[in-house]
Amino acid sequence: MQILSYIGRRLIFVAPQLVGILLVTFLLLKLIPGDPAVMMLGPFATDEGLARLRTELGLDHSIIKQFGIYLWRVIHWDLGTSWQTTMPVTSDLAQRFPATLELVTLSLLLALSIGMPLGVIGARSKNGIIRKLVEYYGLAAGSLPDFWFGLVLIFIFYTILGVVPAPLGRIDFTIIPPPEVTGSLLIDSVISGNWLALRNALGHLILPVLTLGLINAAPILKMTMSTMDRMLEADFSRYAEMCGLPDRVVARKALRNSLPSVITIVSVLYGFLIGGAVLVEIVFSWGGAGQYAVQGVLNADLNPVLGFVLYSAILSLVIYLIVDLIYFAIDPRTR
Amino acid sequence: MSEAANSETMDQTVAEPLLECDGVYVTFPRYGAEEAVALRDVSLTISRGEVLGLVGESGSGKTMLARAIMRLIPQPGAITSGSVTFEGTNLGELDPEALRRMRGRDIAMIISNPRGELDPLQTVGQQIGNVLRYHLDLNSKDVRERALDLLKQVSIPDPQRRLDAYPHELSGGMAQRVVIAIALACSPRFIISDDATSGLDVTVQAQVLELIRKLVSERDTSMMFITRDIGITAHYCDRIAIIYAGEIMEVADRGVFFDDPLHPYTVLLLAAFAQNERLRRYWLGEDKVRENSGPSAVGCAFQNRCVRVQQRCLAEHPVLTEHRPGHFVRCHFPVERP
Repeated sequence: MQILSYIGRRLIFVAPQLVGILLVTFLLLKLIPGDPAVMMLGPFATDEGLARLRTELGLDHSIIKQFGIYLWRVIHWDLGTSWQTTMPVTSDLAQRFPATLELVTLSLLLALSIGMPLGVIGARSKNGIIRKLVEYYGLAAGSLPDFWFGLVLIFIFYTILGVVPAPLGRIDFTIIPPPEVTGSLLIDSVISGNWLALRNALGHLILPVLTLGLINAAPILKMTMSTMDRMLEADFSRYAEMCGLPDRVVARKALRNSLPSVITIVSVLYGFLIGGAVLVEIVFSWGGAGQYAVQGVLNADLNPVLGFVLYSAILSLVIYLIVDLIYFAIDPRTR
Repeated sequence: MSEAANSETMDQTVAEPLLECDGVYVTFPRYGAEEAVALRDVSLTISRGEVLGLVGESGSGKTMLARAIMRLIPQPGAITSGSVTFEGTNLGELDPEALRRMRGRDIAMIISNPRGELDPLQTVGQQIGNVLRYHLDLNSKDVRERALDLLKQVSIPDPQRRLDAYPHELSGGMAQRVVIAIALACSPRFIISDDATSGLDVTVQAQVLELIRKLVSERDTSMMFITRDIGITAHYCDRIAIIYAGEIMEVADRGVFFDDPLHPYTVLLLAAFAQNERLRRYWLGEDKVRENSGPSAVGCAFQNRCVRVQQRCLAEHPVLTEHRPGHFVRCHFPVERP
């Protein structure tokens, strides 16, 4: 019951939060020099033509009024069209956002399954050689640029060994993708029973997921290790030792007490990677949401950028809500 | 006073020491400085069924002694010499696994501030159950029954409900009872109570102390009762040891200890409670405020605070000597009654 009222209270604040995020983004984008009308009509446009297009686009209004108009459309779930793709932003994002989500989710699962165990092992083998190795991994993964690491992986596994498909998108051109249901190629292939597409999509996922997973395991590893260090020094661990509980039981208690920090860093990474994976998306021609937004910024194409921000903001809010619910589940003090 | 009866039981139990510390040193290495000595030449014996009070001020090494017995000295400290023998076994010779099995099962600890020391994410039942499960190999059903039984024994109100309570839902007194239940879970032969009641209200403190005394005497468990309150020891201990700056200063049976203290520090501690203003002022040395009143490295550790300090105390380190049968003191000039 408490949880439901908590969720209710959180949801009340969602709308104003989203409007605030959109307003800030809108103003920031308007600060960037660049006139969509000039971009759209090219270098040989006449002044009258430009003026007419500006009026059509509503660019002659004050910024506040422009924002009001945009907001009105957003409420009716019309995010405008992108002049680059000439498609509605909603349908563009419906295709691209799941691509990014699929990539980021799998990458973080991999990062978590690498970072957390290594962090625990590192914290448990104090002063040991294993801890040194774990620390070196954290340092190396934390300092390598992900796009460069992705290129190295492509060079090794595609160019030299040839064991993975070409880094050109999510699925081979020759393969007919499954009908779109969720937007995730993996899930859609399973739904339609298209095993060929599933295998191919998995093949395309391997390298980008490996890239992002191995790199982003570093912050998870460091957070797990430092929190575990603290928890193993904590009073309750000392007391558990005094009670003669086996080391693995003491470690398990410490890990459970460390989970909130680990979950927090994963949620932060999740929100960050939706846009932050863009360099890796470019390297693998992924056609994800980050790429779409960056193209928008570069070409003064406002609607895709705002749409991307809106989607990411909603996603982040959902993630933070889920994180809070997980806290609820694991820590009785928050109930 | 039932002093005669008390000394009789003493005579019976003294024969067979349960735990023996012999010349234990605990030191901490320091960068660019001489190592810090946390315990210096600590020798103590505790007989079966005996309750030994260990009294000292903060930082005197009380807890360090408890941890030395448990072999849980915090890094980078170490037991650098001396031995602890429990039931004839030198604990220094046991491997880590055997030591772990001993902790909580044969030697248990009652800690202070239990709400901060219990795992915040586990219920009371789970935490008692952990000890039962890993020391006695009980299955889940028996564990729960035993845990409930233990909570009843420590007279926790509404034990059935407390079994599923989390530490933050307990009062200080209840948490203290839970910790006692955990300590008793495996029926240990030796319990160390480390300042167990310091965080509690006086009334709750009395209840908890009474409970500990009852449970300990019922089971014929030996105990080391660590406290800062010398008054408590008068009620609950058979024998009392005074520790100052990591050294045992005086050990005596309760009656002798309070009637005939030998060490100036003991007298100071007792005088602090005295009604007589002159007596108190003399021993506390209020008119002799010194610049450096901390423990001293050369000579007697207590020289800087001693009102009876003499030339010999500054140069020569006193050893713990048996001044009278069963009454040990570490002082060149023990206080003699006129």
